[in-house]
Amino acid sequence: MFVRRITRAAAPVLGLAAVLVLGACGSDGGTEDTGSSGDSGSSGAATAETLRIGIMSEEGNLTPHTYATGFPGLNLTMLSYDSLMQIDENGEPQPWLAETVEGSADGLTYTLGLADGVTWHDGEPLTAEDVTFSVDYYKAGPPGRFATAMGNVSQAVAQDESTVVLTLATPDPSFQIRVLADVPILPQHIWSGIADPDLAPFDETTNVGSGPYRLVESDPGVSYSFEAYPEYFRGEPKVDELVVVQFADEAGATAALRSGEIDTMMRSISPEQIDVLRGTGTLDVIEAPEYTTTLLVFNTAVPPFDQAEFRQAVALAVDRQRLVDDVFLGAAVVGNAGWVHPDSPWYVDSVETVYDPEAAAELLDEIGLTDSDSDGVRELGGAPLSFELLVASNNALRMRLAELIGEQLAEVGIDVEVSSVEMQTLDDAVWPGYDVNLGRNYDMAMWGWSAPSQADIGQMASLVASDPAIGNLNVTGYSDPETDALAVQLDTELDPAARQQVANQLQQRIAEEVPFVSLLHPNGAYGYNPDVFGDWVSITGTGPMTKLSFIPDDGQP
Amino acid sequence: MNARRLGLARLGQYAIVLVVAVSLNFALPRLMPGSPLALIAGVEVGEMTPEERAAVTADAGLDEPLVVQYLTYWKSILTLDFGYSFRQGTPIEELVLDRLPWTLLLTLTALVVAGAIGIALGAFAAWRRGSRWDVGSLSFMIALESTPQFWLGMLFIALFSVSLGWLPSFGATTPGVELSGLAWAADVAEHAVLPVLTLSILSIPAVYLSMRYSTLSVLGEDYIRTAQAKGLRPRAVMLHHVVRTALLPVTTVLALRLGWAFGGTVVIETVFSYPGLGRLMYDAVSARDYPVMQGTFLVFTIAVLLANLLADSLYPRLDPRTRV
Repeated sequence: MFVRRITRAAAPVLGLAAVLVLGACGSDGGTEDTGSSGDSGSSGAATAETLRIGIMSEEGNLTPHTYATGFPGLNLTMLSYDSLMQIDENGEPQPWLAETVEGSADGLTYTLGLADGVTWHDGEPLTAEDVTFSVDYYKAGPPGRFATAMGNVSQAVAQDESTVVLTLATPDPSFQIRVLADVPILPQHIWSGIADPDLAPFDETTNVGSGPYRLVESDPGVSYSFEAYPEYFRGEPKVDELVVVQFADEAGATAALRSGEIDTMMRSISPEQIDVLRGTGTLDVIEAPEYTTTLLVFNTAVPPFDQAEFRQAVALAVDRQRLVDDVFLGAAVVGNAGWVHPDSPWYVDSVETVYDPEAAAELLDEIGLTDSDSDGVRELGGAPLSFELLVASNNALRMRLAELIGEQLAEVGIDVEVSSVEMQTLDDAVWPGYDVNLGRNYDMAMWGWSAPSQADIGQMASLVASDPAIGNLNVTGYSDPETDALAVQLDTELDPAARQQVANQLQQRIAEEVPFVSLLHPNGAYGYNPDVFGDWVSITGTGPMTKLSFIPDDGQP
Repeated sequence: MNARRLGLARLGQYAIVLVVAVSLNFALPRLMPGSPLALIAGVEVGEMTPEERAAVTADAGLDEPLVVQYLTYWKSILTLDFGYSFRQGTPIEELVLDRLPWTLLLTLTALVVAGAIGIALGAFAAWRRGSRWDVGSLSFMIALESTPQFWLGMLFIALFSVSLGWLPSFGATTPGVELSGLAWAADVAEHAVLPVLTLSILSIPAVYLSMRYSTLSVLGEDYIRTAQAKGLRPRAVMLHHVVRTALLPVTTVLALRLGWAFGGTVVIETVFSYPGLGRLMYDAVSARDYPVMQGTFLVFTIAVLLANLLADSLYPRLDPRTRV
């Protein structure tokens, strides 16, 4: 049983016109930059009374059963809840609600000692009973992220008031990061009375959690208000009140940030906006590498994409650095041929990422894809080598990437026609029914996965394994026995050192076989007003927009 | 043929249009590519097993044959039980009733403002036909008519909110602040200024053009010449004889716009992040939230039909010449 928690990477919707209009009218001139630009860290007020945060997605009621999006929806929900472990700044799971976590040698038993003095927002103590209840409640509830996560837990027993023993059906090397540091613990005295968790309404009981904030106002589609919980077990939160406002688009939120109507936004701004915001004199931008991926995917089931040499040629012909410089103005990290982000502890630097269009052309010649009629386009079985490259129309950056990639591939004799389609249409073509069993209906597409796909190295298997039970994100239909064997090992190897070895080999294999081309990782860039609040805590690869930013220094994991 | 039979025939026509439109509201969401599965199943839809996916689909009734879904849909309309939003888990009528007042605040205010200004300017331009004022205002209105809503809206935000800081740029009220009474009304008014201004300005040309044209045709009528020949002063001729008659076709324009007002204004509500019906509809379409799409489409359909009916029945009362 595998626990997954990956979504399509959020598509930044760009209002180009907005950028122009606001850029032109906004700068009052005169005010000089305070010298903080270019700094990837953050600075500013360490505490605040009220912080107003803009979001751009429509969320539901913010409980573990009714939140709507992975980001920012779940991040907001987790302001009010805690998991047994908590991801720290380096992306590693650390003890949290569970003060001690002991795994047995066979990986089948976890003994958790709960922290003392943890209370729910209504004052009730958080006990081992709440933990075992949460496990059973998620398992019995409707399908979803946490139900899937708990699927592998066969038994949860409260040994005493503050000790829980979890028994797993099969060992899972990623159990801590995938489950313990992910699943919010529910208050038994509230949820035991709720029969239909999917429809849980917002009220004075369903807003009871154990987290640093309590949701006190909920108007989905408009705004939410969170109030700090002073008795929080890791210390009193740094900001007293969080007001979350929903905007219809990025342009509107950016304008409100500039006019001082909000103080930050839970959406990475577009590269052009970074300098614009820093140039206002009142705003700053926290910029940090994120694991979010941007990929060029292809249907490996159809010729010539079924040949590794052809896929290698495509990868060689794409100048990733130019994509980063021209489209992202440098605010991105070049994608590694082995898929893993260079800042990840799992990254192996022996995997090389090469741009060499001449080598690409040679490879294409070698496999018989030549340009016999000298029209600049190679032929495959007499027909010109021409493909449609699908890209989501709401993502201006990816559209520009697609255009550039088309130009770069044209230089080695591959004709690419960029087609921008609505996002749902793209999903339907690449990932019909969100089920790789249903096949795929495209040649090439611009694609991406959200940050969690790299936060847990175990997820790498899901991208390349041909067995849909493991390779549930294998949208390229890639199939290779050697890769499959590595994928299975990655999902089962309990010894950390041995697992690192497997991860290294799999990265090497991906670089050689090119089941997809990892183009780049856009940096997270969040605008904020340092006079209001600026003491952000950024998690490697996932950014500063989590509850860690609001937990006092001595309470950090 | 008597009037009653004619009325019945007309009602019959409306009924047919209603059935067709309501059926289209059912068909359109399902004809669009993409599925609402991601929404119903939650964000981790890719992580679910095929069985789980099937269970979720069945739970939402989407595995039923289309005919069955269609009948269920009609049942839900006739029993006024519209179901729940896939996304928010909130009853549809609650969502719609929550958003409708905000939309009407914008659209009706703008309709009144644009109606008054458009009628006055149109009549005046026709009266001064060919003058510099007429040509100038006509060109300006045509330019205005082709101005994109989002562009003007963003320009206003950049000017009045970002640069000058006079007015809020988003929302219907200040979030996170509890207000009541007059303070609340002032807050609402302040937030409505920019969207209403944008919407009004861009709605003027349609009224203006129709008023100007209709005034011009009335001015050419014999009875106007008679009135002038009687020695009535031009202002009196204009107010008592021309404008009253010229208003007739404009009432049709306004009545139809009243129907559209219920559909909200997707673009304005998006630019100003205003919690109206148009944005609800737009968000639902983007996410394939079928129940919300159907619900908002239904409100829109009924409003437009009622507005047509209103225009149809109002006209003979205002203009005896069209009575049968």
